[in-house]
Amino acid sequence: MKGMTPILEVRDVSKTFDSVVQALDNVSIAVYRGEVVGVVGENGAGKSTLMKILAGVYAPDRGTLFLNGKKVSFPRNPKEAARRGISIVYQERGVIPHLRVYQFLFLGHEERYRGPFGLRKADMRKEARAILDEFHVACDTESFMYELPLATQKMVEIARAVLGIRLESRGEEVTPVIILDEPTAPLTLEERKELFASILRMKERASFIFVSHIIPEIMEFVNRVYVLRDGKLVAHYDFSKDTVTEEDLFRAIVGRESLAHILSEEESSVAPEVVLQAEGLTKNGAYYDVSFVLHRGECLGLFGPAGSGKSEIIRTLAGILEFDKGKLRVKGRDVSPDEPPYIRLARGVGYCSGESGKELFFHWSIAKNISVVNLEKVLHRHFPVIRFKREEEMAKTIVEKLGIKAPSVHTDCYSLSGGNKQKVSIGKWLERSPDILLLEDPTIGIDVGAREDIYGVLFEMKRRGIALILVSDDPKEYALLCDRILVMRKGRVERVMKAKEFQEMAVV
Amino acid sequence: MNSRRFLVFLGSNPVFLVLVGLVVLFSFLYPHRFLTGLNLTTILKQFVTLTLFALGPSMVVVMGSLDLSYVGIWMLGGILVWLLTPSLGFWSICIFPLLGLGTGLFIGVVHAKGKMPSFILTLCLLVVYWGLTAILSGGYSRVVRGYEFITAPLIPYVPTAFLWSLPLIVSAVYLMERTRIGLYLYAIGSNEEGAQLAGIPVTKYKIIAFALSGLFTGLGTIILFQHLGGSVPVELNLKNVVWPLVAIVLGGTPLVGGSGGPQRTLLGALTFSVFYRGLYLSLLHPEILQLLVGVLLIVSIIVGARGIKGVEIT
Amino acid sequence: MLSAILSQTWVRRNAGTLWPLLVAIAIVLGFQIANPAFLRYEGIITLIYAMSYFLIAACGLTFVIMMGSFDFAVPSVLKLAALLCVMYIGRFGFFAIPLALAVSLGIGVLNGVLLAYLRVPSFMATLGVSIVVEGIALYLSKGFLHIMYDERFRALATTFFLGLPTIFYWAIGIWALSTFLAICTPFGRRTYAIGGNLIAARLSGINVEKQRILVFALSGFLAGVAGVLYMAQLGGGSMLIGSDMSIPLFASVVAGGTALSGGSGGPHRTLLGVVIITWMQSGMLMLALGRDIQMVIFGLIAVAVAVATMDRKRTRVVK
Repeated sequence: MKGMTPILEVRDVSKTFDSVVQALDNVSIAVYRGEVVGVVGENGAGKSTLMKILAGVYAPDRGTLFLNGKKVSFPRNPKEAARRGISIVYQERGVIPHLRVYQFLFLGHEERYRGPFGLRKADMRKEARAILDEFHVACDTESFMYELPLATQKMVEIARAVLGIRLESRGEEVTPVIILDEPTAPLTLEERKELFASILRMKERASFIFVSHIIPEIMEFVNRVYVLRDGKLVAHYDFSKDTVTEEDLFRAIVGRESLAHILSEEESSVAPEVVLQAEGLTKNGAYYDVSFVLHRGECLGLFGPAGSGKSEIIRTLAGILEFDKGKLRVKGRDVSPDEPPYIRLARGVGYCSGESGKELFFHWSIAKNISVVNLEKVLHRHFPVIRFKREEEMAKTIVEKLGIKAPSVHTDCYSLSGGNKQKVSIGKWLERSPDILLLEDPTIGIDVGAREDIYGVLFEMKRRGIALILVSDDPKEYALLCDRILVMRKGRVERVMKAKEFQEMAVV
Repeated sequence: MNSRRFLVFLGSNPVFLVLVGLVVLFSFLYPHRFLTGLNLTTILKQFVTLTLFALGPSMVVVMGSLDLSYVGIWMLGGILVWLLTPSLGFWSICIFPLLGLGTGLFIGVVHAKGKMPSFILTLCLLVVYWGLTAILSGGYSRVVRGYEFITAPLIPYVPTAFLWSLPLIVSAVYLMERTRIGLYLYAIGSNEEGAQLAGIPVTKYKIIAFALSGLFTGLGTIILFQHLGGSVPVELNLKNVVWPLVAIVLGGTPLVGGSGGPQRTLLGALTFSVFYRGLYLSLLHPEILQLLVGVLLIVSIIVGARGIKGVEIT
Repeated sequence: MLSAILSQTWVRRNAGTLWPLLVAIAIVLGFQIANPAFLRYEGIITLIYAMSYFLIAACGLTFVIMMGSFDFAVPSVLKLAALLCVMYIGRFGFFAIPLALAVSLGIGVLNGVLLAYLRVPSFMATLGVSIVVEGIALYLSKGFLHIMYDERFRALATTFFLGLPTIFYWAIGIWALSTFLAICTPFGRRTYAIGGNLIAARLSGINVEKQRILVFALSGFLAGVAGVLYMAQLGGGSMLIGSDMSIPLFASVVAGGTALSGGSGGPHRTLLGVVIITWMQSGMLMLALGRDIQMVIFGLIAVAVAVATMDRKRTRVVK
């Protein structure tokens, strides 16, 4: 590869948001003809900012762009990016389900097919067929998009991106560079394999930038990988030359700093009582034959790459998804697969997500947001009437305990910072103290200080005898909080680790 | 191959089976009254009324919005024609498409820029137009002469209004099936965010959709004005608002948008006309008929809204 | 002192309540100037008669809009309840009232079930149901005018107490109860929660389906109460009862400050909206402005206030 001119190269790109948050700091990457380049990093590492700069959504503060060795300015909008050969396939919501395949392929580029009697459908179909054949996508041009399997939909989207580049560049010779933004997120395990196989077949027609944080996929499938962390380029591996293990990549993504300073000696709070038990839990296409027990006061981690089934499991436990096979027992009682969240909560299973849009009522005060799951506690003894005094006191206790920075408990939640919002959603569950609390990415996108406060709360929950189940992207979190960790891979539990083992693996 | 295609057609148009079933059923029930030339002409007349009202709005429903202003355009337009005939003569009929286009543009802009839910916006506008009609008419239904040629019989048993409405029907179907505008409306109805990501100017096309809906209603009301007697009522009759809606939904355009369209509305309008006429022949109490229409609306919506996942219903 | 009260933050915080209040005062003053009889005792009684039944129905609709849904069926349910009362009071005596209320409640529950379990968008479901209800009302009444001869029934609304008719106390009582229900009880909290953030409401352990049915049932029930009392007030009626109500009703809820986007406002706000709309209606009647002009004006007002109060940041896709 070296010696050739890269078809796309960016040098020393920097981007700052709101003049404080340094999203990208002197990052340089290059893409050669016919290769798949990985860009990996945790959430907030700067991957998507970089991609949006390439696709013309954001303008960088500094940096230069070279296409085929020639210096050019950065694209100002997605159309201009497409004209230069760069196009992006979004993670989700890009597909228009009710259009036919050929209609979707040409969407936004119909002006070329205008005829005297409306759009020339026959031509569109013929050209659609040609491009689908070129990219080895097996589907009927007459099918509706929603009829296709998800992996095929993704492939049609990729073909559409290439087609958009060809049509926009108007005959000039450009080599397409397609950015795939976490393309496998909505797919089942079987569909992923299919998608990879067909992307590899498309390689001679276009180069791909593959944005992901799924390590096994990266290892298997890309030629080279750039690792971003906190807006900086921290590593670059060429799999054809360097021998890299999954652990190496993992440590590069997470960072090598020692975890020792946050690992205090916590007394184990695990009690013998089993509060939740899963036997052979299966949801087809997501996870298979998952069994575990959870004790009072224990924190169980479901660890694995995105797509390993961990999020689906925790959502199943919360009552958001149904399971197909297996048994789930909460506090010794069997539960049915299709219970909605409110019944699960009545059984003592709470669900807390790091996405504040799923947790908070932004136009409500902190006090109301905290009391929404604790209404029984603030009601009058005899009548179903909310006692505002009690509600306020409850909120004040929580605000003080968690150090939520707000003028008062009556401040509306939308004016709070991300960390404080997150503390409000954790705080309401601390007050509720369910028997089991499911945590999905509890500290996503918040700063270190707020993180440590939240860890403090989670430890207190464990001491109180709340059993926790954690799903996160951050291995440090597992090492810090969990007593046992189920390592998931491709929808199955690969092994069960004790906290100590996991810490040794993660810290080294 | 052909039989397979036919099965696919039936699978996506279950209402076609309903239509055939109804025709067979009524032919058996009323052997001497249903399959007569007179009765079929009545059905065709009803079909013309429903189609001309529903043609434009079904484009908006494809986009996932709702346009209830059609009866308002007909009523206000009719009174304006009556007002303007003394000064403009024959050409005062042109007020219909102008009013329709203007109304559609207004609705489109307020809906797309002001983000006001279209059903309530168009309902308010309908009431405003009704009020204006009543004010301008002085409270009486006014008859305008000079457009009788629209309904003058040409071919036996075929209402001439039906012939006049053919070009409108064809152009509406053409617009939705063969042009970029139609394609974009389907795309917006199916996935608005995705359409935005694909580079479609969504706001602009929303306004276009309402403008087209208004324009088609306006053109249709030129025919309807004479078809329904050369005058307009000053009282709003709810059935005029609801029946075209039933035709749209019955035809298979789900309210959440993305599929269906004017060609489906034709089928819906025909089925509804047959259904109504059949019940009419049964000599049921007219209020019971009204009730059955309401039930039909609800049932067809329930069936039409089924199977769409990920759409939050409010 | 005064400057402290009228400081900018205070004004901004209470803008939602302040501007309807100012509009209400302006309307009263305006009509008073136009017609000096407006604020005499008789005039005030007319105003109270005009707003009372309206307020009861509007309280029910407010809950529905708070929840982010819509209920077109309120005027038709009101009509049906009123007609049931007048037609069956002779046969069943006072049992006609529970009958009318039970029917209204049932229609409300039906609306709720259509939304919650059959997933029909509420505006369409209630539109369909309202047509059915109109059909039933027409079938029962045969389109005739029915007169109420039972004086005891009429006394429910028209007895004077402290110089005001009893229907006023009914309305204010129901309004106060609704306000209490919305603000001080878990029922109200859950309603706001569903309108504010449906996903979060589900994850906070709210039984969304049940709550939706309950709220529509409440709306139907209050529409029934309004119908019964309105019939007692009028002493007779036909299919025309409540026929022009839907737009002013909607306008009064939204003008009070309960946005169509859901999750905000409340019955306490609706009082001012009802005052504005119904007093405007009466004022226009006094000025001999007809029903047609009223329709035009209220239609435009409804559009204007709905656009003004809509929360554009929160709702991404508006259909």
